[in-house]
Amino acid sequence: MSLALFIVAGGLATVGGIGVVTTRNVVYAALFLLLTLLAMAGVFLLVLAEFLALVQILIYGGAVVMVLIFAIMLTRTREFPRISDNPQWLLGAVAAVAVFGVLAAGFLIDRPDAPMPERAVFTLGSLGNALFTQWALPFEIASLVLLVALIGAIIIARPGGRE
Amino acid sequence: MIELYHLQLLSAILFALGVYGVLARKSAILILMSIELMLNAVNINMIGAAIFLDPNQIAGQVLAIFIITVAAAEVGLALAILLRLFRNRVTVNVDEIDIMKW
Amino acid sequence: MGWAWLIPALSFIAFPLIVAFGRFLPKRGAFIAIGAIAAGFVLFWVVMAGRVSAGATGSDVFNFDWFTVGSTTLRWGMIIDPLTVAMLGLVTLVALCIQVYSLGYMHGDPRFDLYFAEHSLFAASMLTLVLSSNLLLAYIAWELVGLCSYLLIGFWWERRSAAEAAKKAFVTTRIGDVGLLIGVFLLFFSTEPHTFDMVTIFHAIEAGEIGSGILTASALCIFFGAMGKSAQFPLHVWLPDAMEGPSPVSALIHAATMVAAGVFLVARLFPVFEAAPGTLVFVATIGLITTLAAGGMALVVTDLKRVLAYSTISHLGLMVLALGAGNVALAVTAAIFHLLMHGFAKALLFLGAGNVMHAMNGELDIRRMGGLRKVMPITAATFAVGSLSLGGIPVLAGFFSKDEMLNAVLHGGYPFFFTMFLIAAFISALYMARALFVVFGGELKKENEHLHEAVPSMTVPMVVLAALAAVAGFIAIPWTAQYGGFGTFLFFEQAERFHMNWGLAVGSTVIALGGFGLAWAIYIKGWLRAEAFIQAMPNVHRFFVNKMYMDDLYQWVINRGALVVAGFIAFFDRAVVNDVGVNGPANQVRASGWNLRYHVTGRVYNYALGIAVGAVAIALAWWILAF
Repeated sequence: MSLALFIVAGGLATVGGIGVVTTRNVVYAALFLLLTLLAMAGVFLLVLAEFLALVQILIYGGAVVMVLIFAIMLTRTREFPRISDNPQWLLGAVAAVAVFGVLAAGFLIDRPDAPMPERAVFTLGSLGNALFTQWALPFEIASLVLLVALIGAIIIARPGGRE
Repeated sequence: MIELYHLQLLSAILFALGVYGVLARKSAILILMSIELMLNAVNINMIGAAIFLDPNQIAGQVLAIFIITVAAAEVGLALAILLRLFRNRVTVNVDEIDIMKW
Repeated sequence: MGWAWLIPALSFIAFPLIVAFGRFLPKRGAFIAIGAIAAGFVLFWVVMAGRVSAGATGSDVFNFDWFTVGSTTLRWGMIIDPLTVAMLGLVTLVALCIQVYSLGYMHGDPRFDLYFAEHSLFAASMLTLVLSSNLLLAYIAWELVGLCSYLLIGFWWERRSAAEAAKKAFVTTRIGDVGLLIGVFLLFFSTEPHTFDMVTIFHAIEAGEIGSGILTASALCIFFGAMGKSAQFPLHVWLPDAMEGPSPVSALIHAATMVAAGVFLVARLFPVFEAAPGTLVFVATIGLITTLAAGGMALVVTDLKRVLAYSTISHLGLMVLALGAGNVALAVTAAIFHLLMHGFAKALLFLGAGNVMHAMNGELDIRRMGGLRKVMPITAATFAVGSLSLGGIPVLAGFFSKDEMLNAVLHGGYPFFFTMFLIAAFISALYMARALFVVFGGELKKENEHLHEAVPSMTVPMVVLAALAAVAGFIAIPWTAQYGGFGTFLFFEQAERFHMNWGLAVGSTVIALGGFGLAWAIYIKGWLRAEAFIQAMPNVHRFFVNKMYMDDLYQWVINRGALVVAGFIAFFDRAVVNDVGVNGPANQVRASGWNLRYHVTGRVYNYALGIAVGAVAIALAWWILAF
């Protein structure tokens, strides 16, 4: 059962991914990305990582895609122009296939025997616990990263010619 | 039953698609989207490792949260740079941004 | 007498003092040098008195250890024996006279202080060589003497010919020095335990510990070094060119002291030569060739200083001939005696030539001179005394010394060498007289009438030397009951009491007078013409005028040999080491960079492709290597 659902979600994600990388329309690409991200959230649910599914939808789906669409809006020269591919798209395809091959081989050779657990041990409470004890330092650094990115973005994109 | 390798294969597919996107697309925004795709693929892998291999199911998921955090920050910064680039050159076409060459 | 090292040490200190402070002192520091050498002269008398009172013919050795390497200890040492004492006297006295002379001669020269500094250094090195009882110290002093010779010959180095002459002198004597070094090391390694000390080596030779092959080889090698310094054939080519230096330098170094070093060395190391069969004959042969060749060249040369130079070579040849061919018991005495007498007389002659040169503003061609006795009487008189002495006229010092040598060769057992010696004596009288008569005899040329005599600071030393050249010979004669003549003071193996060989004396007088008479006939009276002789033997004349083509031979060897090798090495250095080794990689880097620059396209996606491919490649490589 869950496997069938997984295949559906995975298929949707794949379709979205292919859409992102092949479509000629920038806005369609953004929408395909949204599709992929939501499908991913579904997969997370299927493997009992509920909190992460929520985080995925909120942040990726909510904030990141929004930001991307803003970027599209602010940088267009004509009405939704048609964008073709690079001169090196064929080489890129070959490289991508090679990467997939390497990864697949790495994953499929010597598979560990790991069954899916029955229930989620991971809860919100344990997440909070972890974030403030074992993973406190990376947590703080992550907030710092966000702060720096925020400030940096403001400064870089500031109008007025400050180089 | 969902197996680990299912998740991993899905991750590999999405990652490879993201690589293709980075290498083959002309618009900087599309490249950015492909990078997000790659990061998401990595996230799947992390989650998979956490759920299937870790009795506590903790480390991978926490790591995934951090990856999401960093990805968000990076998108914001990338947008800022893109805007500045657009202001200077009125294009986001990476084909035309090639001054630092021989 | 353990303090005898002070004698060279004083002059050694004078050298840096003058170099450092000479500019600020009155007379530019010359008196430091003169003071040092005068003190050395005084100390010589004290040493002599000490030697005589301690038993005139013994020897004292003072050694002190320097450092030890393994089982070998290097020592510095002094040996005070009659040979040392005689040489000390010669060097200090002649150096003193010449330094006083130089006060006048070098007056006004911009490098006046440097001249005296180098003079002091030379005197110090020569004195060290004489005192040394250690082969290594002797070699070091030997080299230092060569260095000072180079510095002083090239003193006026702005003149190209002087610089070339200095280089030639140094290189030629250096060739000999290689032989000396080999000889020294042969002796060093053939003694057990290894030692440079002369006395120890002599004991080893007497005890028969050193093989005769090694002895012959080292004796020949050491003699090679002596050939270089004492200008024996074929290493004599530097001495005539060395006349480019100032005349007092020629007097000191190339008449009395440095060139004597070679003869001195053979005398000092005579036990080695005596024990090695056949070397003495070789020595005598070289001496004979030298003396005859130089005599021939002295007869045809027209430059006054070069006549004296060839005369020096010829007399050195006589000394070497006597050492080689003379009776072993007499040879050393005779050669050293002549060394002393020749030293006084030749130094005197060079100083006289210096006077003439000074007066005639640098002119040295004897054909422009003549009758100079009328304007330079003191110079003429002293020059005459020197020439007569060297020619072997009786009662003067040269007569006694030449007779001693003749006596030694007579008893040496080689009638051939004795006959040749007589011929050489005749020739030496002839060219000496030629120089004397052509320069000072005859009529005074019109243009020379304004010339004047030299200042007293230059004439007084000459008078001193002339007095010595006249009467010093009498020390050969036993005056007192205890003193048996020079032969009992300085000898090898057995003392020889002086006795007059009347037959020999009359014979050598006849020869000397004959030479002088022939010159008188040609140059003063004009009964015979020199041109007649030239026309009779034109090839011989040309042979000698061209310095026996020795310089051309050397130049040919250098051109064909040394320069070819040097050219090849230069080519190797330029083509292989530089172009291939050094420039090659640099050019490669530049070329490859220039050709590879197209990789930097400036496009980000190209770089991303590179990253992707690289990551895949690394993963594959890791897999392959791990399995």
